Amino acid sequence: MVKRHAGAGIAEQIPRNSLALLMVAQLVVVIPLASYVSIWIVGVCLFSGYWRTQVYRGRWGYPPTWVKAILVVASFAGLAISGYRAFTLEAATSLLVLAFALKLIEMRNRRDAFLVIFLCYFLTANAFLFDQSIAMAIYQVFAVIVATAALVGLNQLQSRVRPLASFWTAGGLVLQALPLTLVLFLLFPRIGPLWSVPLPNAATTGLSDKITPGDVASLSQSDDLAFRVLFEGEVPRNRDLYWRGLVYSHYEQGTWSVGPALPVVAKPNSDASEFAYQIFLEPTQSRWLYALDTPTDFSPKIEMLRDFRLLSHDPVRSVLRYRVETDREVVLDPELPGWLRRRELALPEGDNPRMRSYAASLQATYNHPSDMVMAMMRELQNDFVYTLQPPTLPTRDGIDALWFDTQAGFCSHFAGAMVFTLRAAGIPARMVGGYQGGEINPVTGHVVVRQYLAHAWVEYWVAERGWVRVDPTSAVAPERVESGLRAALSNNERSALSIFTTARMGQGAILTDILQWADSLEHQWNLWVVGYDADTQSSVLKDLLGKITPLKIGIAIAVGGGVSLLFVSVALFWRRRPVGRHPAARDYSSFCLRMDRLGLGREPGETPAIYLARLAAIAKLDGAQDENLVQRALYDPEAPRSTMRALQQWLRRLQINLLFALRRT
Amino acid sequence: MEHAVASEQTSSSPKEAVNRSVLGHRFASWLDRRIPPGAIIKLSQANIFIFPTRAGFVFGALLIVLILGAINYQNALVYGVAFSLGSMFIVTILYTFRNLSGLTLELAESDVGFVGEDLQFNVRVERPKGRGREGIQIGWPEGFKQWVEVFETEAAIVRLYVKADRRGWLKPGRMLVETYYPLGLLRAWTWVDIKARGLAYPKPIFQEISNRQSSRRKDEGELVDPLGSDDFVDIREYKAGDPIKNIIWRSFARTNELVVKRYASYVEPRLWFDFQDIAGDTEERLSRLTGLALKATRSDREFGLRIPGLEIPPGVGQVHLDRVLRELALYGQDRSVDG
Repeated sequence: MVKRHAGAGIAEQIPRNSLALLMVAQLVVVIPLASYVSIWIVGVCLFSGYWRTQVYRGRWGYPPTWVKAILVVASFAGLAISGYRAFTLEAATSLLVLAFALKLIEMRNRRDAFLVIFLCYFLTANAFLFDQSIAMAIYQVFAVIVATAALVGLNQLQSRVRPLASFWTAGGLVLQALPLTLVLFLLFPRIGPLWSVPLPNAATTGLSDKITPGDVASLSQSDDLAFRVLFEGEVPRNRDLYWRGLVYSHYEQGTWSVGPALPVVAKPNSDASEFAYQIFLEPTQSRWLYALDTPTDFSPKIEMLRDFRLLSHDPVRSVLRYRVETDREVVLDPELPGWLRRRELALPEGDNPRMRSYAASLQATYNHPSDMVMAMMRELQNDFVYTLQPPTLPTRDGIDALWFDTQAGFCSHFAGAMVFTLRAAGIPARMVGGYQGGEINPVTGHVVVRQYLAHAWVEYWVAERGWVRVDPTSAVAPERVESGLRAALSNNERSALSIFTTARMGQGAILTDILQWADSLEHQWNLWVVGYDADTQSSVLKDLLGKITPLKIGIAIAVGGGVSLLFVSVALFWRRRPVGRHPAARDYSSFCLRMDRLGLGREPGETPAIYLARLAAIAKLDGAQDENLVQRALYDPEAPRSTMRALQQWLRRLQINLLFALRRT
Repeated sequence: MEHAVASEQTSSSPKEAVNRSVLGHRFASWLDRRIPPGAIIKLSQANIFIFPTRAGFVFGALLIVLILGAINYQNALVYGVAFSLGSMFIVTILYTFRNLSGLTLELAESDVGFVGEDLQFNVRVERPKGRGREGIQIGWPEGFKQWVEVFETEAAIVRLYVKADRRGWLKPGRMLVETYYPLGLLRAWTWVDIKARGLAYPKPIFQEISNRQSSRRKDEGELVDPLGSDDFVDIREYKAGDPIKNIIWRSFARTNELVVKRYASYVEPRLWFDFQDIAGDTEERLSRLTGLALKATRSDREFGLRIPGLEIPPGVGQVHLDRVLRELALYGQDRSVDG
């Protein structure tokens, strides 16, 4: 007996409807990845997509083998010369997208379709490695629904009749899976990474570890998010929000850089905590973190370097949430070790001669470093102009040109000049990079720090007082520090900003409201979804379950899963009470029940007509003509509603008459 | 009564399962206990099995890869994708089960045919009120699977074809009812025996009708049919019941006697197809007899059949043919209806 599981020819084909959905799904999935893969791969996708569409429409045939061979060879050659380093996330993604595109033109049977849909799911998840915003999440839910719809279409003939059937089924499925998804998301144990993985190689955003005055100007124009801060108490004043991120100690050829690596130190020995807050840092692909002056306590997996800035263990590749407590009163380095002193005094030989002689004159005039700084600040306040578009400075002797010739610039120009002067005068000093200020989102109350708030300032060392912060920009443009960037800009410079930037700075009422609302939503998203890591999970579960044990987690998953599946079961299996019962039959049977209680039940074998005639005789009610009524109401499928009502009324009359008749006897 | 029928069925199944392995046999008898055969079978949790398909296992592997990715990248949204897909998979179990649960299956009609042909079985699939059922495939292992959807209507008829490989009752046995709906990751299936059977006539072998078969009884060779024929035979006195149009009115006018014309058609002599007269082994003889019966019916000739233990008097027409073929099909076989 040979099994003929034939019909394979037809059964293995992809239904047309499913195929159309599949092609849409591929498009939907590839779009968000397009900006992370080489542009020619997008071209291959479009090409094979077009070819497949033509096959679908019956215009073209499948590509012959040699075309496919050329495509495959060309694609891999393309990958090889695209300059991906092996085993990077971008390379892997590009390979997947490419395979995806090529599979499209040779997809014929159901197995291919399954493969492509699973790839769709995989790429959906893959996109989250690059972008975890709420918009991306909503988009990918849609992508999952479309891919699932294609999968449903493979197993559903109804889609031939109703084109959107698969889509609605898939939507319902995703929706019904939601409760269980939430239970798993909440309860599934989160563990640390098992092995190291290739990371998104996206361009670093935000500050860099090198600063050549001029760089920050371009940053200032960007209204991209740097980080959000949730203060646990009062939000400090704008002028106190100096978000310290990088310390530039090394100066060479007009460029400030972080300099040789520094050792890690312990937390400052202080219990003091002026401000406590959580920071949600957007991905920077770098390790440095931002905090107000002098962190005294911070989350694990963060370390403090010798220059008191914070460093994450791993590069920040997705939104990083960390908690910091800071205190401004902590004295840093009351005594400066020799090696550190040399580091913070180092200057290259011979450049900026005018600045050096200016430093020498300051040194001669003032004894105390603070007086020297005050003198410089006065000069800055009187003679300098704050602008985002300063005149270009020569690479050599740029500081000379700034201080004595152009006298216009922004934060890093002034800070650079001041550090140079102080070092030339023998005072340890360094440039600090970070952000200054922040806008409070009135919806949630968190502080939003955007890239245009990037800033640079100065720290100089005074014996016993340790490191002292001074911001030369505050002398040139006090508004910048008091009220934010917008206030410090001229009208011209302001109008050069984009409308969104203007709105984010608090201009343009409706747009500002919308943007603030969206920002607040995104913040909640980061707080509860993106930032839901092992730490958050354990604190949430502690609130929910008390002490966490594996048993409790298991029970919670079982109960939560059971309840959510119960919901689905009810939705799937619950049927409304059959409404099929005929109204006349309902009336008649309830009448029979009542009569039964009166002892006038129906004899076996009595038809409704005979039974009612008997009762009518007892009640001395004219039953003969109504016998017909009962028959029609019960058995005539086309009987009008009036007949049902007439029967109902007659039964009621019969009942009343019967009650009287029974009372009489 | 029902019970007796059922036990008879179980006792006969080993006979059919001669080619099955011991394991297959064990499985078959386990199935008979688990899902007893019946004319109407309702699917419920008692007889529906669910297991992931190969695609389902690949999907599971995908989920594991996603979770590993989420762990290594510490990415909450990748966890989200994995959990969402996993939950979908679990919800699908309910969907798949729901798609079969409550369906009733029965044989609506079965066809007859000759050995070597596909016999048609019409299976009626009825669903309870509520949601429509989609993407169900039904079929016997020996035949093609058919898709059926009971969506707008509450019942549907599936036409299934099973190739008849020997004469007699064709009992395709347990029928596969399966669904991969909605995602193809899970398969819900059951094997039900709706006691379907169809009659397979012997495969006809055609040969010329020889004279020997028609010349056995000459006296039966003609039939006078006064009604439907054109050949004039003779004239005789009117008897009540003769057609009025046959009365010779001219003669009546002359003689005042009612005389009618008689017409007749001479039918060729009756044919007798006798098992003993045919050469070959039993099956070949039956095949030849089948061929002869078909041929005689095609040329509208009356024929009778003699096989050992049975004589069917001569007759003509489809009903007669059906009876003859049925006897040929069941010759030497267990003739009980359910057996």
